[in-house]
Amino acid sequence: MLPLLLGVVPFGLVFGVLGISSGLTETETILMSSIVFAGASQVVFVQLWAAGSAYFVIGSSVALINLRHVLYSASVAEYLKKLSFKWRIILGYLLTDESFAVSIKRLSTHGESRPVHFFMLGSGLTLWLAWQISTIAGVIAGSTIPENWELAFAIPLTFIAIVVPLLKNTPTIICALTSCLIAIFGQSLPWNTWIIVAALGGILAGASIEKWKPRK
Amino acid sequence: MIWLVMVLTGLINFIFRISMFSGFRNIHLPPSFHRYVSYVPISVLSAIIASSLVTHNGHEMSYDVGKLVAAFIAVACALLTKSVSVTLIVGLITVWII
Repeated sequence: MLPLLLGVVPFGLVFGVLGISSGLTETETILMSSIVFAGASQVVFVQLWAAGSAYFVIGSSVALINLRHVLYSASVAEYLKKLSFKWRIILGYLLTDESFAVSIKRLSTHGESRPVHFFMLGSGLTLWLAWQISTIAGVIAGSTIPENWELAFAIPLTFIAIVVPLLKNTPTIICALTSCLIAIFGQSLPWNTWIIVAALGGILAGASIEKWKPRK
Repeated sequence: MIWLVMVLTGLINFIFRISMFSGFRNIHLPPSFHRYVSYVPISVLSAIIASSLVTHNGHEMSYDVGKLVAAFIAVACALLTKSVSVTLIVGLITVWII
């Protein structure tokens, strides 16, 4: 759990700083971390909002980024089907990349011999708290640190740190390059739709190459 | 207005997260869905990285050399350390120095 928090805390700080520097109020930035509660999509939300994008662009970008949660949900549903509705609502809200990763790892080592839902609740709550507290700290930092510190640049740096280790084969590299090129040359597309066009272009490129030459 | 957009996107997120254990559990996901979704994070994050480094207004490109250098160093750093904190700090220090 600790290594995961080491990734989440700087990201939360960066998000808090970004919210303030993009013109959101302190309350808006802090509450976004509990209402939306999904790091990368919050960053995209704030950037698109600050650029005056159409609401449907913001909504569909956030939805696209978080579509992966459907897969996580499908993977853990099997183990949680006996739980009450209340439990499932809470665990659903707390489902993130990190808590999913640790829960699946635990399931693969311990199987279902021990109930996984307390573990999911514990890891989910820990992550949730870390995300909220680091956002608040970022908001405080964002209102005090001068602009020439280039803290907004922390966003692409954080994303580089997340993406680069994922580029393990040809399809993933082609996906990233396609998306980068469309993002650069599509900037003048109306309503900031470049982000969706670039994302879809990259996904199509990666998935088609994988189909043509399956991953090993 | 921001509150409305925020609550709606939050709701969409929540629906995705509980989609498979909400009670109507029998939704079938086609295998190709997995393949496409696995590229979403790489694709979206790459688009944001590129757009924050280089912009193109239809005629010419504009970029900041210091940020490009810092980004390349960050890529190397991410490859070597796989650590968000280290990459972030090294990248920021580079952009401050240049």
